[in-house]
Amino acid sequence: MMRVVRETYIIFKKDMLIWFKSPVVPVIRALVFPLLWIVIFGTAFGGTVEHIPVALVQEDFGAHAQGLVQELNKKEVLEIRKTTNYATAFRMLTRKEVYGVIFIPPGFSQAIGDGGQGRVQLSTDETSPQISSALIAHVYDAAGVYSDRVVLERRPAGGGPAEVVDPVVMEKNTVFGRGIEYLDFLAPGVVMMTIMFSAMFSGGLGVIVDREFGTLRMLMAAPITKDAIILGKIIAGVMQSIASGIVALIIAMLMGVELESGALGVLLIVLLMFIAGFGFIGMSTAIGARSKTLEQFMVMMQVIVMPMWFLSGGLYPLESMPGWMRVVATVNPLTYATDAVRAVMLRGIVWDILALDFLILISFSVVMFAMGSLAFKRTID
Amino acid sequence: MDIIVTRDLTKEFNGLTAVDGVSFSVKKGEIFGFLGPNGAGKSTTINILTTLLLPTRGTATVNGYDILTQQDDVRRSIGIVSQDVVLENELTARENLILHGEVYGMARREIEERIPRLLKLVELEGREDSRVKTFSGGMKRRLEIVKSFLHKPEIIFMDEPTTGLDPQSRRVVWDHINYLNKEEGVTIFLTTHYMDEADYLCHRIGIMDFGRLLDLDTPENLKNKIGAGDLVDIGFTGDGEAFVREVQEGCGWEVRSHEPGHLRIAANRAELSLMKLVRIAEETGVTIDSLSVREPTLEDVFIHYTGRAIREQAAENVTRAVLRRLR
Repeated sequence: MMRVVRETYIIFKKDMLIWFKSPVVPVIRALVFPLLWIVIFGTAFGGTVEHIPVALVQEDFGAHAQGLVQELNKKEVLEIRKTTNYATAFRMLTRKEVYGVIFIPPGFSQAIGDGGQGRVQLSTDETSPQISSALIAHVYDAAGVYSDRVVLERRPAGGGPAEVVDPVVMEKNTVFGRGIEYLDFLAPGVVMMTIMFSAMFSGGLGVIVDREFGTLRMLMAAPITKDAIILGKIIAGVMQSIASGIVALIIAMLMGVELESGALGVLLIVLLMFIAGFGFIGMSTAIGARSKTLEQFMVMMQVIVMPMWFLSGGLYPLESMPGWMRVVATVNPLTYATDAVRAVMLRGIVWDILALDFLILISFSVVMFAMGSLAFKRTID
Repeated sequence: MDIIVTRDLTKEFNGLTAVDGVSFSVKKGEIFGFLGPNGAGKSTTINILTTLLLPTRGTATVNGYDILTQQDDVRRSIGIVSQDVVLENELTARENLILHGEVYGMARREIEERIPRLLKLVELEGREDSRVKTFSGGMKRRLEIVKSFLHKPEIIFMDEPTTGLDPQSRRVVWDHINYLNKEEGVTIFLTTHYMDEADYLCHRIGIMDFGRLLDLDTPENLKNKIGAGDLVDIGFTGDGEAFVREVQEGCGWEVRSHEPGHLRIAANRAELSLMKLVRIAEETGVTIDSLSVREPTLEDVFIHYTGRAIREQAAENVTRAVLRRLR
């Protein structure tokens, strides 16, 4: 056991030393290439958002309240979920089950009926700018339409001038993601994407290049165990990916992206990079070991990496994708990695949401690491 | 004392026999060479002896350790110079040596102590902190040779150690191989398809073709086996029938080959009988156009055993090595 650890460290150190000689190139490659895609494609992807879940807490069942709810129900973009009390609705918001909570307080109908103003509260999660802007626009619109109706009804029979005040007043309260812009939304996606690109290309590439140039054979002929060679190379690959990911994170923060959860959040993000890195390196190693040539491997990578990235929710929210794409996204490990990093960065640490992401990522990584190691072992046997 | 012993070593790849029941032994302290064309099974044999491949049948011991059951001991006993350059180009000469030493379980201090002497040995002193990618092909080869010697192995295996090098660099590499063998007492096991290399370096040579070991002896003995003495090549014009008969019967010389206009004979101390040859030519009405007397080379030995020359394959081999380098 001690022997494997010592030898693994030697191989790890060797690969890291080689990497340190020119770390800029791999980091730039992992960063610039995907960013270029964002510029080219990112702006072209407009996707409209549909089926935004919203909780409705109704504590007033007067005529005006019912009228407003009717208007809200007409909005097909919103998926209204009636909820009995505010505490439950807020918990749903925390758990990302809904993106907003509409609260109609008692006395709402009374106030309007008396000729005054009824107030409605809208609490929002704005960590996903496309979703929150659509949500806010539609809720406000429904309120506006109902206001107009009330104003029309209040008109004196003589046909005098209408009142200027709106009977329905919206009060917005941003719970998550205050002041979030698209860049904040994009940053977690780019950080994880950097990990994926770096890991996917370095893992299999290592196998193929070492195989072609015979350095692997030299190690094989040395008094060192195969397990140590495999472990050392994979861990070195993960560390190199994390280095790229951290550079991406630093760039994002320099550009003003907020980090809600502070130092613990950074630790969690690095942990996520580590887990995902293992998975992607394993996956890539398995593919590299099966590829006969470098070209074959590169083609495979493009075929896998690109869709995985576009369908991860890193660029645009999953809610803006058509149904079949969303199905692909749910089996995409990068979706969960991106989701977790985004949650940590923009919403703070909420274990309820993170637990599932972590569970799925860890399972993915364990399976992929096992596959990669086995495939690697076969190529050097 | 035999440092390598193989018995009935056989390796099959998908029904193809790369090494076919090879048995031989290498003495401690000698330079032993495998001579043969590409695909003869030389590299496969080395791969088996260095524990990179498992034999289909047969067994071998290296430095007294079984290649099947004591692989780690075998690995610690040997150094390898492979056909391809397997240095890390981005790292310096010193870093390459340190990494190698650590992989072989050496202490950092011991490695550092050995590096200056080793680099001086191959005339790379002063270059220890240059990146290997700035080295010429010959320099890389030399660095690989001392790298293989860093962990003080008993035996160094060298697979085509001078392929792809220019004649001058080859000479230098030969000198280093001789030095390691004579001064450091390292047993050398090399493969080559260069006749001159095998002749110059090796104490004993095994001739391999199609996976079989055709013969194994000192270069002198191998040459003597194909007929004592010199080879005489005669180019002539005229009716050869009577001439050839006279040469054969009158002088008792052995005719090696006879084509129209060309005759090759083997003779002891041929220079003493040249006048007689000229007289026979005059008597049989034949004009001699060219005449050469030479000692037999390993090339002749190889042709004797395999019925063909090694040159064509050799040329092809060099091209491949160059292509590999370019890639």
